[in-house]
Amino acid sequence: MTPPATQLLLPGGLAAAAAADALAGTLPIVTQSAHTMQRTFWDTFDGRLHDAGLVLVGSGGRLALTDATSSAEHAAGKLPGGAVRLFAAELPAGPLRDRLAPLVEMRALTPVARVRSRMLPLNVLDDIGKIVVRLRVEEPVALLGDGARPLALAARLHVTGVLGYDREFERVRAQLRSELGLVPAPRPVQDDAVEAGGGNVGGTSSKLRVQLRPEERADAAAVAIARRLLAVVEANLPGTLDDVDSEFLHDLRVAVRRSRALQRELAGVFPPEPLRVFRDGFRELQAITGPTRDLDVQLLEFGELTAGLLDGGAGDVAPLGRLLSDHLRAERATMVRALRSARTRALLENWSDVLDGLVESDEGGRPDAARPVAAVAGERIATVYRRMVRMGRKIEDDTPAEALHDLRKKGKELRYLLEFFASLYPAAVVKPMVASLKSLQDVLGRFQDREVQADLLRSLGDEVAALEGGAPALMAMGVLVQRLAADQARARSEFAERFAAFAAKEQRTVVKQTFA
Amino acid sequence: MTVVAAYNIKGGVGKTSASVNLAWLAAEGGARVLLWDLDPQGAATYLLRIKPKVKGGGRRLVRGKSDPVALLKGTDHERLDLLPADFSYRNMDLALDATKRPTRRLARVLAPLAGAYDYVFLDCPPAISLASESVFGAADVLLVPLIPSPLSLRTFDQLRRFVADEVSEPPRILAFFAMTDVRRRLHQEVIAELSGRDGVLRTAIPSASDVERMGVHRRVLAEFAPNGPAGRAYAQLWDELRERIAPPGSVSPF
Repeated sequence: MTPPATQLLLPGGLAAAAAADALAGTLPIVTQSAHTMQRTFWDTFDGRLHDAGLVLVGSGGRLALTDATSSAEHAAGKLPGGAVRLFAAELPAGPLRDRLAPLVEMRALTPVARVRSRMLPLNVLDDIGKIVVRLRVEEPVALLGDGARPLALAARLHVTGVLGYDREFERVRAQLRSELGLVPAPRPVQDDAVEAGGGNVGGTSSKLRVQLRPEERADAAAVAIARRLLAVVEANLPGTLDDVDSEFLHDLRVAVRRSRALQRELAGVFPPEPLRVFRDGFRELQAITGPTRDLDVQLLEFGELTAGLLDGGAGDVAPLGRLLSDHLRAERATMVRALRSARTRALLENWSDVLDGLVESDEGGRPDAARPVAAVAGERIATVYRRMVRMGRKIEDDTPAEALHDLRKKGKELRYLLEFFASLYPAAVVKPMVASLKSLQDVLGRFQDREVQADLLRSLGDEVAALEGGAPALMAMGVLVQRLAADQARARSEFAERFAAFAAKEQRTVVKQTFA
Repeated sequence: MTVVAAYNIKGGVGKTSASVNLAWLAAEGGARVLLWDLDPQGAATYLLRIKPKVKGGGRRLVRGKSDPVALLKGTDHERLDLLPADFSYRNMDLALDATKRPTRRLARVLAPLAGAYDYVFLDCPPAISLASESVFGAADVLLVPLIPSPLSLRTFDQLRRFVADEVSEPPRILAFFAMTDVRRRLHQEVIAELSGRDGVLRTAIPSASDVERMGVHRRVLAEFAPNGPAGRAYAQLWDELRERIAPPGSVSPF
């Protein structure tokens, strides 16, 4: 049900009225009265809608999800008044929520750009006066907020077909290009507005994506990776402090954990003494964010965990949900204080300074610094892989849980190494290796997460019992702990098969040939 | 997607006028709307300045041999599309009779459009026939324009009985008074007795020259006489209808 559409750039300085006159000389058009519209464009911090070729636009109390290329509307609904942050789950039930929810998941939608446009509609009519093509001259300005002056953006002509009148659309488009020399706009107006406001077009990714050369000095490669990780920490810090959504903290923690893996695995490129200080500092950074993340996870999975409890069970656990939220608030306040502290600021700034001067610094105590990164990376990947194989082989059905936890930690280390150095090796090697590692890590992760979740619930038992309605909640919690234990047992039973695939002879041979 | 069929056994009671004006108002309110002109006379299609022609013919469409998406025409309202009339619809009973489960046929034609529209309006031809039964099978709501007269009410009762007795999943039936003349005592009395009760909406559409002039301008009331008595009445009727057909407890997104 999508009519064809395109956007053409109007030559600089051509006013809407002049554009309309030029068009009227070429096409049978009727000019309507101009109007001004203000639109707010929404997306997640990581630009999930942009990635999906979609635009979520709010205007006049209405929120519409449209196609970025054709502007065709996929779904629409009411825009909650005064909203500064939207979660898909909070939108009214309907097509808009149905379309958005799987795309944005737990991420919040926030305004990424505001644009005020003067629109001049011009309709191309057929011989009985029916609209067969819609033209709109748009003169947009980006509203930058905080007292900044609005910034004029490139004017454009929207050409939109009408269903069932495709030939007319093609004719008009061809005329606009051949007779008026108009060229397609390279990107939609909201991207211009995002850039004008200093934002990242398409959102801010937390992905690593560092391109390395095999012969590059290992310390220079380490700096490139560490710089990217530091940028991810910095980018996610404001959203973590403001509690925009739980993914900011998640991505911040992943970047911290990756930084720690880099410090550990490439220790030979850093001077030992300052490295020890930063390893302590980053460990602390991870520790202060841990309890909040654990509670975030518990609450994100709360609905799924409590679904299907016996009659009344879901209501019974309501006090537990409230208690978890209370704990989250308290832990978050502690975390925010720590993240805002001068100590954290100094840690990040000093780490940045170390990275700035690393390559030029004395190579004493940095035995791997000048070696080609491919050599250092290959050694580390092969070593950690072999270590994991040895650790996994010792795990029997009755091996204490600790051994699985240790294997998972090593697995994360290997995963990060493969991510850091992916650009040095053929994708045909790295991708299947990451896939079998991921499959193993999923099982190990579930095994550990269920234990952490069950422990957290057990630790809240006394508090829940003391609440009003605590007794039934406690009983329901017993069921939840049992469920978690059962899922943990299932994960353990799947371990042997996943590990066998990961440590298979063919895989060991590939590792030996590629990395050793 | 809510399917609203403007239907009456009688002709000339304002079905087309209701279909095009309400469909336009729904689109104006932000909804994505389809109007299917099922009347071979094609008056709704004419009013929207579109050629009354279905490529491949109506028979192929109702028998599921044509893709309805390829037959859609955009109207002068960006959110209102039309499935045009075709003169072959005069033989729709015959076309339906040759299909399996003819009373479900129109619903099946609309099924692939479910995600694309919030409302579908069916402008139905008068009479009670196999085509009407297929309309009853496709519609969530039968919207029945009534002229406030005893004979008209008798026909409405017949329709209600028929739908209750013969349709397996009967649509809701909502009526409204159309072509009313407040100077006529009979109209006043009938409206006073039934308006707002027993499935009859409170809003009545007055007999007005603006409605006739739609055919001259080939435009809906909202385009050329939104503030005339009929234009205002249709806006009010849409507000009332929209509230009545929203699922219980839901907040209408438009």
